[in-house]
Amino acid sequence: MAEDIKTKLENYRTAPFDARFPNQNQTRNCWSNYLDYHRCQKALEAKGEDTLPCQWYKRVYTSLCPISWVQKWDDQRAEGTFPGKI
Amino acid sequence: MAHHSHPYHMVDPSPWPLTGAIAALLMTSGLAVWFHFHSTSLMLLGTILLTLTVIQWWRDIVREGTFQGHHTPPVQKGLRYGMILFITSEVLFFLGFFWAFNHSSLAPTPELGGNWPPAGITPLDPFEVPLLNTAVLLASGVTVTWAHHAIMEGKRKQAIHALALTILLGSYFTFLQAMEYNEAPFTIADGVYGCTFFVATGFHGLHVLIGSTFLAICLARQIQHHFTSEHHFGFEAAAWYWHFVDVVWLFLYISIYWWGS
Repeated sequence: MAEDIKTKLENYRTAPFDARFPNQNQTRNCWSNYLDYHRCQKALEAKGEDTLPCQWYKRVYTSLCPISWVQKWDDQRAEGTFPGKI
Repeated sequence: MAHHSHPYHMVDPSPWPLTGAIAALLMTSGLAVWFHFHSTSLMLLGTILLTLTVIQWWRDIVREGTFQGHHTPPVQKGLRYGMILFITSEVLFFLGFFWAFNHSSLAPTPELGGNWPPAGITPLDPFEVPLLNTAVLLASGVTVTWAHHAIMEGKRKQAIHALALTILLGSYFTFLQAMEYNEAPFTIADGVYGCTFFVATGFHGLHVLIGSTFLAICLARQIQHHFTSEHHFGFEAAAWYWHFVDVVWLFLYISIYWWGS
């Protein structure tokens, strides 16, 4: 499974089509992957496992999200004021 | 009284439409003055003028209908259409606020945490006071219908009791809602949740006050023998308005209070 993830990450060019978000407004796609990355990190670190699979989500949200949003959310997480559930 | 060979009401000249229009102007411009210059004087003047206008205008209508006999069946039909159209316009007014609530709550933005209720908001428990409020208004719908039947059956004392009970229930609702407003853990300024909640329920509350006042006038008129068992449109209009207020509450309760929690 980890080998598949590795190959997926190596072949990554940009975020693929996600049928959950078919329309022009991709805000939810960015938001969902940002949350999923941090939830993945939190869950795997708690279990003491390798967090490589989480990198997929990070690649997706980095491709999709405006940098200012990511910076704002990172600051909020540092402050403890991030509104999402991680 | 004028002699004419048609059943319609040619109304005498009246200053109240003009004073009403002036009141509307003063209230709206007064609102703008309040926002920009922190003075409520102009708005207050407009409200006083509006109150005087509606009291005297509707007093004149009561005189024309009950004492001068101008409200023939065709005239009454016109009044019925008028009330129905007015209530329809009020339905559309509330529809706008429900639209606003649904716009924000069905697709919550990242700023809210992607959830509804938004992060940081503790909504009111829909099974506490709001449920009691629902029961109170539904009961008042029953008592106002009871009052109507009493009027139609010529049972004067019963009509007075039922109408008084309706007004009492309406006042109890207002009291409970005021307590809720006072103790709510969120305010109108708390993001889109607070805004949609208080604007929608606030306008509803205003309509409860208006409806209660209308019913109180009907009670006074019933006591003074204005209504007959066959002709009591003022009461019917008040009852229609009251049912409308009740229905709006039911929609508010189901969507904002219950689903929205």
